[in-house]
Amino acid sequence: MFLAWHEMRRSKLRFGLLTGAVGLLVFLILFQQALLGGLITQFIGAVRNQSADVLVFNDQARKNIEGSIILPEQAAAVAAVEGVAVASPLGESTFTVQADGSETDAVVFGYVLGGPGAPTTLSAGRLPTADGEAVASEKDEADGFGIGDTVTVLGPGGTLDLTVVGVARDLNYSVSPTMFTSFDTFAAAKRVRNGLAEGTAVLPSVLAVQVADGADAEAVVERIAAAVGGVEPLTRQQAVDGSPGVSSVRTSFGVILGLFYLVVPLVTGLFFLIVTFQKASALTLLRAIGARARTLVVALLVQVVLVMALGSLVAFGLYAGALQGVKNLGVRVEVMPVVVTSLVVLALALVTSLVAVRRVLRIDPLDATTGAGVHL
Amino acid sequence: MSLKLPLRELRRRPTRFLVATVVLAFLSTLLLFLGGLLDGLYLGSTGAIRAQDADVIVYSSTARDSFLRSRITADVRSEVDAVDGVDAVGGLGFVLLGADVPGEADPADVAIAGYELAPKGVPEVSSLYDGQGVADRRLEDQGVGVGDTLLIGPAKTEVTVVGWVEDTAYLQQGTIWVNLATWRQVQNANRPDAAVADDVVQALVVRGSGDLAAAIDTATGGATSTLTVEEAVLALPGVEQQNSTFNQIIYSTLVVVLAVVGLFFSLLTLERLGLYGVLKAVGASSGRLFAGVVLQAVVVTIVAFVAGSALAMAAAAALPSGVPLQLEPSRFVFTFTALLVASVLGSAISLRKVLHVDPAAAIGTSS
Repeated sequence: MFLAWHEMRRSKLRFGLLTGAVGLLVFLILFQQALLGGLITQFIGAVRNQSADVLVFNDQARKNIEGSIILPEQAAAVAAVEGVAVASPLGESTFTVQADGSETDAVVFGYVLGGPGAPTTLSAGRLPTADGEAVASEKDEADGFGIGDTVTVLGPGGTLDLTVVGVARDLNYSVSPTMFTSFDTFAAAKRVRNGLAEGTAVLPSVLAVQVADGADAEAVVERIAAAVGGVEPLTRQQAVDGSPGVSSVRTSFGVILGLFYLVVPLVTGLFFLIVTFQKASALTLLRAIGARARTLVVALLVQVVLVMALGSLVAFGLYAGALQGVKNLGVRVEVMPVVVTSLVVLALALVTSLVAVRRVLRIDPLDATTGAGVHL
Repeated sequence: MSLKLPLRELRRRPTRFLVATVVLAFLSTLLLFLGGLLDGLYLGSTGAIRAQDADVIVYSSTARDSFLRSRITADVRSEVDAVDGVDAVGGLGFVLLGADVPGEADPADVAIAGYELAPKGVPEVSSLYDGQGVADRRLEDQGVGVGDTLLIGPAKTEVTVVGWVEDTAYLQQGTIWVNLATWRQVQNANRPDAAVADDVVQALVVRGSGDLAAAIDTATGGATSTLTVEEAVLALPGVEQQNSTFNQIIYSTLVVVLAVVGLFFSLLTLERLGLYGVLKAVGASSGRLFAGVVLQAVVVTIVAFVAGSALAMAAAAALPSGVPLQLEPSRFVFTFTALLVASVLGSAISLRKVLHVDPAAAIGTSS
């Protein structure tokens, strides 16, 4: 420990550079993990946190709620399938709204009040009980989507007021403020947005299905797919996983994170290998005057742990700072992911440092007396 | 000392540089991959707007610069037509839908775009009959061929593909360019709750001169929001945020490259201080010794970049088509240049050590 610490104190530049590099790499891993989690929640939180067991899409929509509409005959056919207790319309669209005095984009979901499709993560207030009321995403509370606020839908067809009566966690969709309201209010908002005449029919984007007591959602999905043409039924989880963008975002970030996890231990292993190589003569001398191989190995491993710990601290500081820049994703600074990631990279760094350990163990103290040089 | 010495060291003791090369190769792959994703997302989302052969794009003011929410009526259009400096005005509209492709089990994602003023690479609209369209080449991957009649949306509206155009995708969907009548037919049949009248379009593309944006918005009394084509590209959902997030990650990774190269060569320099002392004693200048370090850094970077590029291309080939990775030649040039600059800067960390080598003190020490 003494040896390890003193060497680090005397070689501040080299250990500082390594700590900086490790800190940046761990920060990039943490930041991208947070970004991935945040993006997915912000993209499809509303689908994940609504109450329908099964969502029925138009098969042309390729699991994209924004691109789906359900025709009346399809809705009737789905409702008649065995195991379907309730099949009610669920609409989704993006609107220009005025909230807190400024114009912004907002996604509005419309469901039949009391039926499937209601938000399940209510954190304050209540669910809507009448037309014109809405539950909003908690993340946007401070931007005019708090309880009691009025959000106004704007469009060529005029305006429509929605009153926020509750807020719910992780309810965003397409990284926008999101509100859940009655289907009739949603239809009215759509007519305002598109400048359509009062009474023009608005089709649901998907059907929200509540399965009968004791029925299995996956079995109901299979039955709907077999019985009704032109639709693609999905369980809630399938709808989340299959959402456009989610799987490609996961794959892309998976590859990037995998490469980062490879680079961190390689950089650390490389550094300690070279340092061990440089210290070969000194280490041989220490062995010759009685230092045990175990002492030298422990000193090396202590340095690895110290560098990784300091690097992780640097990474945490950068991570906490960087998350302030992506507040719109609703990403929170959490200690647990930092601890887990730091432990994983520490374990990987210790594994790659084994090459340096092996070099230390191969030192022959006799070489110090022969003058033949040290062959590591 | 000639510069042959560092090159000879690289040739005779390649293993000494192996780990640094491997680390840099992975970092090159990482940079290319990040850049490729950024390019894929950007090009795949913005092609249809970048292709517009126009000076400004006019949206309705309540649309917040979204095509899908914008509606321009005939009255507003005539006000725009009458603005000084306006030479040509054309309507534009998009609808995003699935399409049945003959012989394919899965529907294709398409963006049906109605136009009047031809974007770059797209034929004049007069060459298309109703129900015909030219398709973005990316739809070829989804089984679309020239002569195919696609059934668009839930209403199965027929559109026949009569040719290809390049780089005109819209929000990651392959665009099919049709005349405005066909676009309205597709829109109204498949999106009855977003139907448009015969004289309504989503946006106007305008060619002209002068401060068009301000003149148009003033002439329409604030009923419009007019953007340049470049502004319209950045107004597409997510484009600006994607660019800034990915660029931050890319530049942070370049700082890591700098630190890795700096670390590696400063350690290597420390190891060789004795040797440098001897070389200085026999007449080698500090500049020449430092040039040797930089040369080695450059060679290691070149080898690592080649290996990293091969790895990135292999990864791109192995990834599912849903991943919007697009490796552009310009991305390779940028990454190579950035790596080279980072390597030279990183190796410069060794400069101080090289300059401070004292030939008199170094002679007699072991190398």
